[in-house]
Amino acid sequence: MLRYNISTVILLLIAFLVQQFVPAFTGLSHARFLIVHLVFLCCAVTVTTPTMLLLAFIGGLLWDAHCYLAPIVADPEVYSQPVESLRFGYSIILFGIAGFLMQGLNPVFRQGKWHFSALLSGIAIFLYLTAEFLVISFIRGDFTITRSIFRLLIYTSVLTMIISPIVFWLLYQIAKIFDYSLYPEARKSNSWH
Amino acid sequence: MKPLNLIALLLFLAGATWALTRSETVVRDIQVAYFKIINPTLTAGSSLETKTRKLLDETEHSKVLETKLAAVDGEIGRLRIIESQFDALKRENKELRHALDFKKATNFDVVAAQIIRRHPTTWWQTMEIDAGEERGIGIQLSVLSNEGLVGIIDRPFKNRSSVLLVTDEKCQVSVRVEGTPEVGILSGQRGKFDSNPTLRLRFLSKDASLKSGQRVFTTGRGGIFQPNILVGTILSVEKGPIDSEALVAPAVNLSDLGTVFVVLSETP
Repeated sequence: MLRYNISTVILLLIAFLVQQFVPAFTGLSHARFLIVHLVFLCCAVTVTTPTMLLLAFIGGLLWDAHCYLAPIVADPEVYSQPVESLRFGYSIILFGIAGFLMQGLNPVFRQGKWHFSALLSGIAIFLYLTAEFLVISFIRGDFTITRSIFRLLIYTSVLTMIISPIVFWLLYQIAKIFDYSLYPEARKSNSWH
Repeated sequence: MKPLNLIALLLFLAGATWALTRSETVVRDIQVAYFKIINPTLTAGSSLETKTRKLLDETEHSKVLETKLAAVDGEIGRLRIIESQFDALKRENKELRHALDFKKATNFDVVAAQIIRRHPTTWWQTMEIDAGEERGIGIQLSVLSNEGLVGIIDRPFKNRSSVLLVTDEKCQVSVRVEGTPEVGILSGQRGKFDSNPTLRLRFLSKDASLKSGQRVFTTGRGGIFQPNILVGTILSVEKGPIDSEALVAPAVNLSDLGTVFVVLSETP
């Protein structure tokens, strides 16, 4: 189990490297495959709560290091209403919440029904991005949701969800190598029959 | 809740609090370390993206011609920007030559850079260029193209930099409208991911008399942008009870941009 947990951390770090090769689809309102988030969500459902929280911390911290915008220092007399920056580290909290959401389906996943988790990963991405947008709106004020924002949320969630079976398959292979069962309940019920 | 889970949760919250309370310097150090580690894949990823884009754009030009053309385009753009600045200064001199106390020293030098990555993050309107601190690029320097203002440097690294585009909500520009006394603050609009995003010009006077097509230039006030850089053209004006706002089309087509110029002068 320890070796599997370590491998999920390594997999998350690899996801950051892979993410660099994934461009935004300009024709789809700049939607993209969120590989990092997907790997985290898929791992979250297969590990214990402490490991999930460790993954959330690493994922959120590195994601913010990747995306954080530096504050603009300008003359306050001219720029009297500067646009607020999000605090570095907010993604850690969002990753943690999304991880707990995924862990809610852990009992179903342990029965071998991974497709529910795959579906939930898409929903979790949608909720993650929505929460992120709401945080931005709250910090900066003036809530407005446009058609292109909605399209971005939908397309990103769907695109990412589509590739979730690949990540689950990868996790299954890793678990097999380290002799860790992702579906212990399914194994039990098979042995009973 | 199991004791182990509770301890893990408390540690997680402590870690999150630690991250949320870091100073800008520490955050900057974390970012530098992060980008240093992923730099090889970042370079490979950017190169792949650039190659793909070039492959899609390429129709009949050979590789050699394209390279030469890019170099010549870059040089022309650089000279045009410098020329436009000299023209602006010349005009300014002419208008103010009788003012005894007028004195302006301008150190205007630019570095040409290629765009290597577009929209690397979900919500921010940013792009990355292939020039960084090695070529004298620092934080908050103006980035221009042949057509006008592109944005400002957000994060300079050793050999690459991140540019916050003028279409991002966070990028505010003090501007004036050509031929009028109107000045205001121009910024991008949140969540405008269309191919032709518009900018919002705020804090205009209540009775602002503007027409569609009028050009918008930087004022040079505020400590970031140099004066007289073209930013866009007025599309429409909305009059409010206290002030007026206008929608502005950016002068630069940000979706079809290859070479940009970073203005190296230390003071705008």
